[in-house]
Amino acid sequence: MKKRDNTILRKAVMAVVIGAFPLTSMAGGSDYDVLQDQVKVLQQQLERVQKALKEIETKSASKQDMETAKSEFREEISNAMTPNTLVHLAGYANVGYDSEAGKDGSFNAIQFSPILHYQYKDIFMLEAELEFKAEADGETEVEMEYMSIDWFMNDYSILVAGKFLSPIGTFRQNLHPSWINKMADAPPGFGHDGAAPTSDVGLQVRGGFGEKVRSNYAVYVANGPELNAASEDGEFELEGIMAEGFSTDVDGEKTIGGRYGIIPMAGLEIGLSAATGKAAVTNIVDEDAGTSMSVLGNSRSYDVFGADFSWQRKALDFRGEYIQTKIGEDLTGPGASEGADWKTWYLQAAYMIPSVSLEPVLRYTDFDSPHASEDVKQWSAGLNYHFSNHLIAKLNYQSNDVNKGSRIPENKWLVQLAYGF
Amino acid sequence: MKKQMTNIYRVMTLSVLLGAGSGFFQTAVAAEWPVKGDFVKGAQLWVENCNRCHSYRDPQELRDDQWITTIYHMRIRAGFTGQQARDLVTFMQKSNK
Repeated sequence: MKKRDNTILRKAVMAVVIGAFPLTSMAGGSDYDVLQDQVKVLQQQLERVQKALKEIETKSASKQDMETAKSEFREEISNAMTPNTLVHLAGYANVGYDSEAGKDGSFNAIQFSPILHYQYKDIFMLEAELEFKAEADGETEVEMEYMSIDWFMNDYSILVAGKFLSPIGTFRQNLHPSWINKMADAPPGFGHDGAAPTSDVGLQVRGGFGEKVRSNYAVYVANGPELNAASEDGEFELEGIMAEGFSTDVDGEKTIGGRYGIIPMAGLEIGLSAATGKAAVTNIVDEDAGTSMSVLGNSRSYDVFGADFSWQRKALDFRGEYIQTKIGEDLTGPGASEGADWKTWYLQAAYMIPSVSLEPVLRYTDFDSPHASEDVKQWSAGLNYHFSNHLIAKLNYQSNDVNKGSRIPENKWLVQLAYGF
Repeated sequence: MKKQMTNIYRVMTLSVLLGAGSGFFQTAVAAEWPVKGDFVKGAQLWVENCNRCHSYRDPQELRDDQWITTIYHMRIRAGFTGQQARDLVTFMQKSNK
């Protein structure tokens, strides 16, 4: 703008000078007084042009001032619209369809998971995630995934009190929402009854530190899991681990655990997790009679180990995770049996093609449980279409390598529409 | 008795960590609210971190106040420091105009 004004000024001066020459010639020659008068006129004209230029410059500065004032006004409005307590509804939802080998397909996976945030300044935050699921029998299942009151103690530590997602590994605490998970379901073993704990009730301290090389951490003490046992022909065996956040500690033995993650460079994170404690059998299923009963077995050792990584480079997202849960033996109490191990791991690669908003995904999972009928080696291939960054359509094909007698289908198609809000 | 002592030991361990968290670092929560961060650092954090787990969210999706709760939720999930959270809030708020 200023440059254009200068150009106008130059042109104006030129015009005045050129305009003045005819006057000079009309004066008819060398008369000094006439020339002096003409110079005076020119000087006056030049002063007027300079004054006009100054006014233009003043107006330009005013425009800058206006922009600054506008920005300050926006900030004032933003501050005025930020009370001490903030309320926000976030969450995700999904609908789906799947078709197993040898079965008719069904519309399913109807899930709505609102997350409520109530924040008091930068001191406290209450966060709660509910899960509403449409069940096969037409009923609606409601669960509290987590509900905690979080205290931002300082820049590096947050105290989380209540029911929280297990910080063991990353899938449960960071990747399970359907708009984040690049596949239509969880990798085998990372669901609600697998090798990885899902949530717990207790106290957790978590946070981060570092700038160039960043770290994040979580340590917790909690009620811990309970165990399921099954009896068949008078023999007991461990059936599964229920690690979904009990609000009572039936065996009176707390579990302690945590995760440490390091981000040595942008796009790479490596994490290690562990937990240890005790767990007891609280439910025995009689497979012969088809009944179940509540019991309280002796405390057994409960040990979890996990490792995870994620690596992003340009449009490529590559990640993997390993979780192992070991339960010790109990040879005397109700549901007495040998110990058991659950292990699972997966590797997943996804490549986003921004020009067409398509994202092919490939995942391999190997889940080993104490029961051969639950073991599975799964290849899963998918193609995602991103309507936006939080609205994703997924098409998955799964091929499952299972043992004889397994209830897991050999292959399966899944379609899902996931919405994060 | 032994069980009780074990539990006390575990809770004590966490308490020590709590003490370390609140005592050694001694970074008080800022009195100013809402606090301002560094726009450029926030932009860099946004670029380098959001896609560790999920797709980038467009700053235009939420209002200024909604970005505060969203980023503080992510501070808990992703392990940001308080300063990094403030930088991110500033970046998201200035980018949603």
